[in-house]
Amino acid sequence: MKRNIVFGTLESRIYIIFTVMLFSTIFILQLVFFRFVTTTIKNSTIDNNRTLLKQLVSQIDSYISEVEKLSLTIAEDIQIQNYLENENDPKSSYDLEYKLYNYKQARTDISNILVYSNKGKFLLGEPDAKLNPWTDIENSKWYRDAIDKNGNAVISTSYVQNIIVDSYSWVVSLSREIYSSNTGESLGVVLVDLKFNKIDELCRSLILGEKAYSFIIDSMGNYIYHPTQQLLNSNLRSEPITELLELNDANNNGYYFFSDKYYLIETSVFTNWSIVGATHNSDIITDWKNVQLIYTVIGLLLFLIVGPATKRISSGITQPVRKLQAIMKTVENGEFNLIGKIKATEEIQKLAYDYDIMVGKIRELIETSVKDQEQKRKSDLIALQAQINPHFLYNTLDSIIWMGEMGQNKKVVKMTSALSKLFRISISKGNEIVKIRDEIAHVQSYLTIQEMRYQDKFNFLIDIDPELNEYHIIKITLQPLIENAIYHGIKECSNKGFIKITSKFENDIISISVADNGSGMSDDQVENLCKGLESNSDEYPAFSKQGIGLSNVHQRIQLYFGIEYGLSIKSSPGFGTTVTVTIPALTQDGLK
Amino acid sequence: MRNLYFILLSIMASLVLFMLFSFSFRNLYTKKIKLEAPIEIILKSTEGETMDFWDVVKLGIAEAKKEFGISVNISGPRFEKEINRQISIMNRIIEEEPSLIVLAASDYQKLSGSVTKAHNNRIPVIALDSDVNSDFPVSFVGTNNIIAGQKAGNEMKLLISDSVRKDIAIVSHIKETTTAIDREKGVRTALGNNKIIGTWFCDVEEDKAYSIALNLLENENLGGIIALNEVATLGVARAIEEKNAKDRVIIVGFDNAIRELTYLEEGIIKATVVQRPYNMGYLAVKTAVEFLSGKKVESNIDTGSILITKENMFKREYQELIFPFSN
Repeated sequence: MKRNIVFGTLESRIYIIFTVMLFSTIFILQLVFFRFVTTTIKNSTIDNNRTLLKQLVSQIDSYISEVEKLSLTIAEDIQIQNYLENENDPKSSYDLEYKLYNYKQARTDISNILVYSNKGKFLLGEPDAKLNPWTDIENSKWYRDAIDKNGNAVISTSYVQNIIVDSYSWVVSLSREIYSSNTGESLGVVLVDLKFNKIDELCRSLILGEKAYSFIIDSMGNYIYHPTQQLLNSNLRSEPITELLELNDANNNGYYFFSDKYYLIETSVFTNWSIVGATHNSDIITDWKNVQLIYTVIGLLLFLIVGPATKRISSGITQPVRKLQAIMKTVENGEFNLIGKIKATEEIQKLAYDYDIMVGKIRELIETSVKDQEQKRKSDLIALQAQINPHFLYNTLDSIIWMGEMGQNKKVVKMTSALSKLFRISISKGNEIVKIRDEIAHVQSYLTIQEMRYQDKFNFLIDIDPELNEYHIIKITLQPLIENAIYHGIKECSNKGFIKITSKFENDIISISVADNGSGMSDDQVENLCKGLESNSDEYPAFSKQGIGLSNVHQRIQLYFGIEYGLSIKSSPGFGTTVTVTIPALTQDGLK
Repeated sequence: MRNLYFILLSIMASLVLFMLFSFSFRNLYTKKIKLEAPIEIILKSTEGETMDFWDVVKLGIAEAKKEFGISVNISGPRFEKEINRQISIMNRIIEEEPSLIVLAASDYQKLSGSVTKAHNNRIPVIALDSDVNSDFPVSFVGTNNIIAGQKAGNEMKLLISDSVRKDIAIVSHIKETTTAIDREKGVRTALGNNKIIGTWFCDVEEDKAYSIALNLLENENLGGIIALNEVATLGVARAIEEKNAKDRVIIVGFDNAIRELTYLEEGIIKATVVQRPYNMGYLAVKTAVEFLSGKKVESNIDTGSILITKENMFKREYQELIFPFSN
C-alpha cells in the first residue's frame, strides 16, 4: 500500500471534499467557541471588576463620611467655640490643641487638624509644630471654599499641604466653617487633612489585574489621584477623560475601551469623585496563552483524528471498487476470475455478484465452445475415416477383380465408375457442407457398389424431392446410416432386403429417412441407441460399434445446426428400422 | 508512508489555524517583548534620604517595568562618590551578560573603559542622567543640562536686573562631571553680558559650598549666586540665611530637596531648576525596550527641566514633581 493520492480519482475527490468541509467546519466552530469563551470571560471579568470598584467607592465614601463626622464634632465642640469666641483667651490653647491631637491620634489616616479663626487664633492638632509663617491660610482654597459653603463640609482634591514649617505632605482636605451655637455667627474654619497615602493605598488595593490600575477624577475631570501623575503631566501618557465623563453621565454600567484598556467608572455620591478602574486587555483573560494553547491542541487532535478518518472513509468507498477493477483487469489476460464475497457496501457487493454471474456465463460459453470445436474435429475425423474406409475399398476392389475375372466387364465398369464417383464426391474440395444433390449422388454410388457386392441381396430406392437438391447438408451424413442398415439390418436377414431413402420438406425443415426392412430392434435396443446418440463416444464405451457411426452423424449435425436437429430412430423387431435425419433447410446464403 | 503524509497535512492545517488565531489576537502581545536576560540599571547611589532623586528614578523604572512586563535589576554604589565601586559593579554586571545596561555614570571619564568593555561584549549601553565619555552608548536619557542651565541663567538675568549689585558667582559641584559642565555652559550662555566673577567647586560637600558662599559674601558687589546642584544650593542658602543676606544676594539653585523648598518659601532661594527623575527612570527603560525590540532610538532624549519659584511651587501640575510621595 505505497500509493499516494492521485488527483482525478474518486478517492482524491472524496478526500478533498471531506477534508475541506471538515476542516472549515472545525475552524469555524473553534473560532465561534473561542470568541464565545473570550466574550463570556471578558464580560464576567468586567462585571467582577465593577463590583470591586463599587466596593472601593463605598469604602472611600464611608471613610470620608467618618472624617466628616469628626469635623462636625469639632465644629460643634462647645469648648472650642468658646475659646474662639472669647477674645481674651491667648492666641493658642495647649489643652484644646491636645484634644485635637487626641482626635488625630485616634486615627492613623489623619495628617493634621487645624482650627483657624478669622481673628487670627488657631488650634493645631500637632502641639509641637509651628504654623508656616509663609502660608497665607485665609487665601487657601480649603479656607475660602469652606466659607463659601456656609457650614457644609468641603472636600478638596489632593495637594501638598504646607501649613506646617518644614512639612510638605500630600493630603486631601476636609474643611467646614464653624458657627457659634450661641450667636450663630461665623467663628472660623476647621480643617481635617487626610493623609493621601490612605487613598493611594485604597486605590492600589483595588487589583483588577497585573497591568490594571485605578485613578480618581473629580466631576470636572481633574485628577485627584493617578498612580502615574508625572507621566500624565509630561504628556507621556494620557487618559480619555472626556469619554470617561460622558460614560459617567450616561450612567448605564457600560465600559469604555481605549488603547487595549477597559475603563470602568463609578462615582461616589458623597465626594463627587469618580473612580476609574482601567483593566488591561491582557489581564481580562490572564492565562490567555493557555486558552490559545488548549484551543490549538484541541484543533490539532481533531485534525489528527479527522485526517486519517477522512482517509479511511474515502478509501473505504473506493477500495472495493479498486479491488473490483483489479480483478476485472485480469479479463484482459483471458483469466476469468470470480470476485467472490468481498467486504464492501451493498451496492458494490451487488455489482460484484452480477459481475460474477456474467463471468461465469462467459466462462461456460467459452468452455462449451472449446469442447464443441474439439468434438467437431473429432467427428470430422471419424467421418473422414468413414468415407475412405479401407475395408470398404479393399472389398470393393476385390469385388471388381472378381468381377473382372468372371468377365463381367459391364459390371466392372459400373462398379468402377460408381467407386470413382463416390470418391470424387466425398473428397469434394474438402468442404464439410455439400448440396443434397451431391450427397444423394454419393449415396447412389455407394448403394450401387454395395448392391453389386452383396449380389442382389437387397434393393434400394431413392426418392428425394428434387426441390431439395440445392439445399445443403453435411457431407457423409447418409452413408453411415445406409452402412448401418446394410450391416446390421439386412445382412443378418434371410429375406431380400430393401432400403428406401425418402425425404420430407416441411416448415423449412428437411427430413431424410433411411428405412430398411431388416431384423429391427427391440424397444430397449432403440432406447439404448438413442441414449448413445447423445453421448460422447468416449464416455460411452459400452455402446456398440453400430452406434458409433450414428452417434457421430448425430453429433455433427447438432454441432453444425443446433441441438434441435439430428437423428431419430424408429424400429420394431422383424419389421426393420427407420433412421431419420432432420436438418434445417439452408441454401448457400444461409450458410456462414 | 501515507499516514505520514496525512499527519503532515493535519499539522500544516493546524499551524495555519494557530497562525490565524494568533493573528487575530496579535495586538495583545505587541507591547510585550521577551528578553533572555534582564536589563541591568546601575545608578549613582542607592542610599539616600527617602524620596530623593534616585528613589524617584526608581519609581519611574518600576512603572515602566510594569508597563512593558520585563525584568529589570537595579544596582549601584551606596554613595555617589564611590566611583571605583561603580566601575567594579559595572564590570561584574558585564560578566552576567544582561540584555542591556543602563548606566548613570558617576564620572564622565573613568566609566568610559567599562562602557567599551560592555560594547566589546555586545551589551548595549544607555546613559542615564549623566553622560559618559564614550561613543558607544546607544542613547542618553536625562536632563538637557545646557537648557536647564539656561533656565537658571535667564531667571538670574531677570531677577538681577532690579538689583544694584551685579556680580554673579557660580558654585558648581564637581569639575569633571558633565552635569556641571553643561549647566555652567547654559548659565553663561543665558547671562550673556552680565558679569560673572567666577566658578567655584564644592566637590559635592555642603560645608564647602557654605564656606565658598561665606567668602563670596565679602564681596560687596555680589548680587547673585547660581548653585548648580542640590548640595551646592543648600550650602549657599545656609550661608545666606545665617548672614541674613537674602535681600542682598539672589540665589538660583538646582533640584528640590525638602530644605531647598523651605528656603524657597522663605525667599532665601528665589528659584530652583527641577529635573524630572521619574520621567528619567521611565524613559530609560522605555528606550531600552524600544532599542531591544529593534526600533530606532533617539541618541539624546531630554527628560526636561522646570524652573520653580515661590509663586508656582504649589501649582497642581508641579506638585508631584516637587513633592514626590512615597508609598
